[in-house]
Amino acid sequence: MNSVRLWYKKSGLVIYTSHLDMNRCFTRAVRRAGIPLWYTEGFNPHPYITFLLPLPLGQGGEREPIDIRLEKEIPFEEIKSRLNSVLPEGLEIVDVTEAVNKVHLITHARYLIEIGFENDGEAEGFAAGAQSVIDSGILNAQKRSKRGINTVNLCEFVDSFSAVNDGAAVRIDTVLATGTQKNLNAGLLIDALCGEFGAEAEKISILRKEIYMDNKIIFE
Amino acid sequence: MYPEILDKYLMKVQKPGRYVGGELNSIVKRREDVDISYAFCFPDTYEIGMSHLGMKILYSLVNARDDARCERVFAPDTDMEAIMREHNIPLYALESGEPIRDFDIIGFTMQYELSYTNVLNMLDLAGLPVRSGERAALTPIVIAGGTCVCNSEPMADFFDITLPGDGEEVTNELIDLLKEYKAKGASKRDFLIAAAQIPGVYVPSLYEVEYNDDCTVRSVTPTCGAPEKVIKRNVADLDKMFAPEKFVVPFLETVFDRTTVEIFRGCIRGCRFCQAGFLSRPLREKSPAEVERQCRAICESSGYDEISLCSLSTSDYKGLEELLTNMLPWADENSINVALPSLRIDNFPKELMEKLNTVRRSGLTFAPEAGTQRLRDVINKNIYEKDILSTAAQAFAGGWTAVKLYFMIGLPTETNEDIKGIADLAQAVVDEFYHCENKPKGKSVNVNISLASLVPKPFTPFQWEAQDKPDVLIEKQDYLLSCIRTRKVQLSRHVPWTSFLEGVFARGDRRLGKVIETAWRKGCHFDSWEEHLDREKWMQSFEECGIDPFFYTARVRSVDEVLPWDHMDYGVTKKFLINEYHKAHRGETTPSCREKCSNCGAARLNGGVCNEFRKTVV
Repeated sequence: MNSVRLWYKKSGLVIYTSHLDMNRCFTRAVRRAGIPLWYTEGFNPHPYITFLLPLPLGQGGEREPIDIRLEKEIPFEEIKSRLNSVLPEGLEIVDVTEAVNKVHLITHARYLIEIGFENDGEAEGFAAGAQSVIDSGILNAQKRSKRGINTVNLCEFVDSFSAVNDGAAVRIDTVLATGTQKNLNAGLLIDALCGEFGAEAEKISILRKEIYMDNKIIFE
Repeated sequence: MYPEILDKYLMKVQKPGRYVGGELNSIVKRREDVDISYAFCFPDTYEIGMSHLGMKILYSLVNARDDARCERVFAPDTDMEAIMREHNIPLYALESGEPIRDFDIIGFTMQYELSYTNVLNMLDLAGLPVRSGERAALTPIVIAGGTCVCNSEPMADFFDITLPGDGEEVTNELIDLLKEYKAKGASKRDFLIAAAQIPGVYVPSLYEVEYNDDCTVRSVTPTCGAPEKVIKRNVADLDKMFAPEKFVVPFLETVFDRTTVEIFRGCIRGCRFCQAGFLSRPLREKSPAEVERQCRAICESSGYDEISLCSLSTSDYKGLEELLTNMLPWADENSINVALPSLRIDNFPKELMEKLNTVRRSGLTFAPEAGTQRLRDVINKNIYEKDILSTAAQAFAGGWTAVKLYFMIGLPTETNEDIKGIADLAQAVVDEFYHCENKPKGKSVNVNISLASLVPKPFTPFQWEAQDKPDVLIEKQDYLLSCIRTRKVQLSRHVPWTSFLEGVFARGDRRLGKVIETAWRKGCHFDSWEEHLDREKWMQSFEECGIDPFFYTARVRSVDEVLPWDHMDYGVTKKFLINEYHKAHRGETTPSCREKCSNCGAARLNGGVCNEFRKTVV
């Protein structure tokens, strides 16, 4: 049994595929690629394949980790090329590595968000407003947690935030608490900001750019 | 690619993945590269439509042509429909995102009658008039195939063409003809008249129907040279028939998401309630080598880890043992589970069951259909209680603890004793478990009765029978419940109102077109979903149109009556069906095609078991 960490990029139509469906999608891709997965030895054997940090529905990712276990050793480059030849459009393996860090070390992630508005004025207003709300340190919103739905201050989850407008679009570059301990869905932050100003976005695209451990050290 | 305007709304609907396309093995061609664009519509949600084998076959078949493209279309769920209507987004096809009203052919597959209103709704969402007569242009031509088109009459106002029988050959012939007529700028009417000359093409608008004073059909008269009888298409050699080697692999979880390969079409059995069995005669088998080749190809191109061998009665497949012997080691090695639905209990060898056991096991389902031997003889379900019990005992010894039993109520000549017989048979299966020496230790048994109600269908010996009214069926269900004395037996039953509506349309005539349209305009759609079926609106619609729905269901028809579907020919003759109808009432059984040819008439369609049998008599 060999543990391997796959890093994939998710973009295009595939972002509308939920986490559970992604699991099945990758399992099948690995089968098509003829890569021998290690199966659990329980009553109902299933392949070992784990998404470390599931992406919320509707969001893309630049370099997202999956751990799989293989029956036998296969060179990383070969795993990458074999998978890329069978993956559906929108999914691509960008790297294959050893599983260096443990998943619970993930604390933050950087998100690039683009919000399209009807006109330049709306975008300009939103960018300035969003920046000042985040800078003020208070943005209360309903957030679902294991204990039910609570009102929380989303700013407590925001590490850094910059919003600029570019024509009718607003570009946001932000680092948010991410991981098993403390996590904020970037979509929720944008919905809360839109709600704050009664703004209606034409299109929201969210991309998880990179994943960090403490002190912004890249998770590997 | 979906229409760009949806960017704003996709995250507001349940399961947006239903509406975006982009799945593995989906085929995207450009409009300018083909002559004919075909929008294949399944009139239900994505999850249901994507599970349907017929769509996969025809999708691959049309896309295999260089001059045509086929794209998939499903009924949007109510949340998405509201958004599409509010923002004037026309129904589009998943591959290109182009509106289906710009396609040349809009083809529906009609698998169940309760999807009729969805057809109207989809045409309307596409921005097209629902009535055939109001769509003046040559394209899009609206066609339909599938089980229900054995009686297209209730939908005759809406479809331009229906295709009874196997679609593999006639689809290509129709595309060829449309290509020619489109190129020469012909009118829709000229095309329809020409299309009616293709064997197996039914153009409802070319037939005039007259009625008697009692509302029964007096006559159906073809015009413009259309044939007296439309004979269903029958692909004689399944090994040479087109079969897909790639399935579009959905991202979303669908009802059936696995490799499905047909092992044969047709059925040798002749259960008298079973429409599929009569419609698809004669039985034609695919060779085990071809089945295995197709299974492997699809598994390799999809990554599926489950194979379902598809037919009406799997254990009647002559090549079953050969197929499993060759395929199971490979399946096992690749962690692929092989499912055999529709097994009969009287002829499934123990050794085969043990072989299947090596891969992951699924549930065990039997279909005795009726509770007493007398009634099983009436319906010609030639299985016996001792077979059921001995197979159950084998299964228990093999480690199974859950058994599902399919039964029907509302069968002709049924009495309370027959209904009580269902509970008794379930109890006997429970008792068998406790008598079984090798039963799984420390486990209890669970027998689940799944109870359907008979809907008499065209082209079956029961097509003249009365269908029980919903309140009678509920009484029968309640009576059965009162006969069950143990919690080890569970009953799941259906709401008989869906069966009632299904019954109306199954044996309906053209007068029902206005009822379907009225009900749809009142907001009826997704009628096959119990939570959507709006009984009030339907009953109002019947009333407004001055039509008594029980005329179609609750009446015993005379064998002399002209039936609305008499101008369709599925091979099996009316004379044979009348004979079977009388035999049913005498409690006489009819042997399977392999035991003795009963001269049903399907032999003239060529192929399969008929030739096999004739060779042995000659």
